[in-house]
Amino acid sequence: MVSASAYVPAIVLLPFVSFIVALFGRENLPKRGAYGGIAATAGSLLLSLWVLVSVRNGAAFQETYYTWATGAGAQDWTLTFGALIDPLSVLMLVIVSLVAMLVHIFSLGYMNDEDERDLPRYYAGLGLFTASMLGFVIADNLLMAFMFFELVGLCSYLLIGFHFREPGPPSAAKKAFLVTRFGDYFFLVGVVAVFTTFGTAAFAGAESFPALAEAALNGEATVWTPGGLEVSTWFTIVGLLILGGVIGKSAQFPLHTWLPDAMEGPTPVSALIHAATMVAAGVYLVARMYGFYVLSPTTMAIIAFVGGFTALFAATMGVVKRELKQVLAYSTISQYGYMMLALGSGGYVAAVFHLTTHAFFKALLFLGAGSVIIAMHHNEDMWDMGGLKDKLPVTYWTFLAGSLALAGIFPFAGFWSKDEILYEALIHGLDEPLILGAYVMGLLAVPVTAFYTFRMVFLTFHGEPRSSLARDPHPVRWNVKGPLSVLGILAVVTGGINLVPVQKVLNIEGIDYLHLWLDNHWGGIEGLSSHHYAELDPYSSQYLFGGEVPTVLAGAAASLGLAIGGLALAWVLYNVADPDEHTDKLGGLKELLYNNYYQDEFQVWVADNTQSVAGGADTFDQGVIDGVVNGVSSVSLLSSERIRRIQSGVVSNYALLLTLGLTTLLVVFGLIGGWF
Amino acid sequence: MVPPEYYLVLSAAIFCIGLFGILTRRNALYFLMSAELMLNAAVINLVAFSFQWGNLTGQTFALFVIALAAAEVAVGIGIVLVLYRNFGDVDVLNAATMRW
Repeated sequence: MVSASAYVPAIVLLPFVSFIVALFGRENLPKRGAYGGIAATAGSLLLSLWVLVSVRNGAAFQETYYTWATGAGAQDWTLTFGALIDPLSVLMLVIVSLVAMLVHIFSLGYMNDEDERDLPRYYAGLGLFTASMLGFVIADNLLMAFMFFELVGLCSYLLIGFHFREPGPPSAAKKAFLVTRFGDYFFLVGVVAVFTTFGTAAFAGAESFPALAEAALNGEATVWTPGGLEVSTWFTIVGLLILGGVIGKSAQFPLHTWLPDAMEGPTPVSALIHAATMVAAGVYLVARMYGFYVLSPTTMAIIAFVGGFTALFAATMGVVKRELKQVLAYSTISQYGYMMLALGSGGYVAAVFHLTTHAFFKALLFLGAGSVIIAMHHNEDMWDMGGLKDKLPVTYWTFLAGSLALAGIFPFAGFWSKDEILYEALIHGLDEPLILGAYVMGLLAVPVTAFYTFRMVFLTFHGEPRSSLARDPHPVRWNVKGPLSVLGILAVVTGGINLVPVQKVLNIEGIDYLHLWLDNHWGGIEGLSSHHYAELDPYSSQYLFGGEVPTVLAGAAASLGLAIGGLALAWVLYNVADPDEHTDKLGGLKELLYNNYYQDEFQVWVADNTQSVAGGADTFDQGVIDGVVNGVSSVSLLSSERIRRIQSGVVSNYALLLTLGLTTLLVVFGLIGGWF
Repeated sequence: MVPPEYYLVLSAAIFCIGLFGILTRRNALYFLMSAELMLNAAVINLVAFSFQWGNLTGQTFALFVIALAAAEVAVGIGIVLVLYRNFGDVDVLNAATMRW
């Protein structure tokens, strides 16, 4: 029996091969590259499922494939590529490859059927994007993770700017690239700091940096700190540096501004970016090195607070948007805020749970939006839609399932995961004012989320058609309906993998599969279990109303009640034949929200006012760095100008030079050798 | 038996004559002849030491050099012919077009 572990590199390499094939095959490929991409991602999915089964049977492992640099002398660091296959990463592998495959299939309908030009480039981009993300997921050390993290960023640039002949997409692509790069800059410094501090960047094992950090805090090991800084302070600083990359990629406040603009990319790309790949990378990174983050209460509190704030902040902006994909963009930012809130408040499993359910229902919503956009001939304004319910039944019902999940309505997937996040934040937050504040913001975001989600649903699908496009929509084919149906089912049932509240209230053991899974119940890697993290985290649990069960019920009732309240408000305002733009009543507040709290303007202002710094760096680069290089080259140019004169073309001169040279050599050897 | 110093002096003298010819003459045919002289000066050295140490390697080598010299002359004459065809002369100073 061949073991699944041998095929782990193939999971990453298959989409990479499809990238190469699409890149060089150009227009000759069947369906212009789509079939290759579908085959590759389907292969990755099958292999991932196989690895999932083998991990279920206790075959988690870590393996180094390639060492590309080793330290010289006394330092014994090595830079490697390797795979870390444990319950967390294999779960993520399945999610990424599944969503990537569905996105490829959907692209047949969204791109091929619409006769977009230059499709091999599109499929090449999708292939590389998937490969980078899968490589990031299996990374067994921080440096490898960083490299694939950057590749993901590059691919997002290529895909968001796919329609580069129009003015919007290239500028959105540039913005996404630069804003995430700003965060990645801190990440890179953090990687170097981890290396200098611990001499390793491995995620797992006794010699990994989370394990060494734990030992150092317990006084069992010594690590280097700059200027004899307190160890815990230094760990907080390193954690925050790496968090910079996370905030950029996962679009958390204040680096969230790139994400709504990234909607300029083709819709399937938006689904891939927001559901499974780029944005998920940040949250996944925190989960991956959670053993390091739990050691620093300050970092944890900051993560939770940033997450809670972003959840509410982004949700409010989603309320007033006119365009379908814009609403989804802000909901993405908001949902990733929830995941960060969960991670920061010690809810490791809750965060991974929400990452899973969100991947499915958000991919569903984006693909559903894509289907609507096909039907509407690429008009995205919700005020031109309406009444699409009867004309696009498959899209409508799946979109509704995704929306109910996003709004957190019982018993759809999003309810279970969001409820668990809020529960974790609540029980851990009663002693910690920052976590409690984050919890309150997270709770406030629930009705807002439900409201904007159903405002979107009602405006798009209900009421009377508000334009000729909506009266006569373009039909969609199987390649759109198929992925939607798969994701629609997943959005309904994924909650079943982790029915913690049911377990607690009804006292049934063993239906919290995800908890058991991440707790290494079926085997995993030592030190990477949720149990271990729970021992390390700085929080104590407090219960309201004198017990766990009442707290569970109260928390669920609060979040469900608020969600239904938001839904009901949307129903009253927008589920009518001809809805008004009720957000106009908000007056100046609407302007503020519609312009994203003037965050973009603020960032431009900051950029304008720091031009002198950039100018200084430019002068240094041009003057000193380039100056040295140019100096070296001009010295050799000038001297060669002189020396080449000796090449006269007269053969006698060459003979003379040879003779003189030989004589000189003989004399020199004679003098040194003492012949005279 | 003639002591080896005499051979060495002879060889050095022939070599210097060859070198002098190469450095001063402008006619390519003189070049060929001078090169021949220098080769043979080296061969005299080989034969002399071979004789001195009673080892045949040097003499064998001398035979090889003679064959080599014949080949060299064949190539050299060819070059001189081409030189004449292209520049109308066998003066090496005329053929100075391959330079900076």
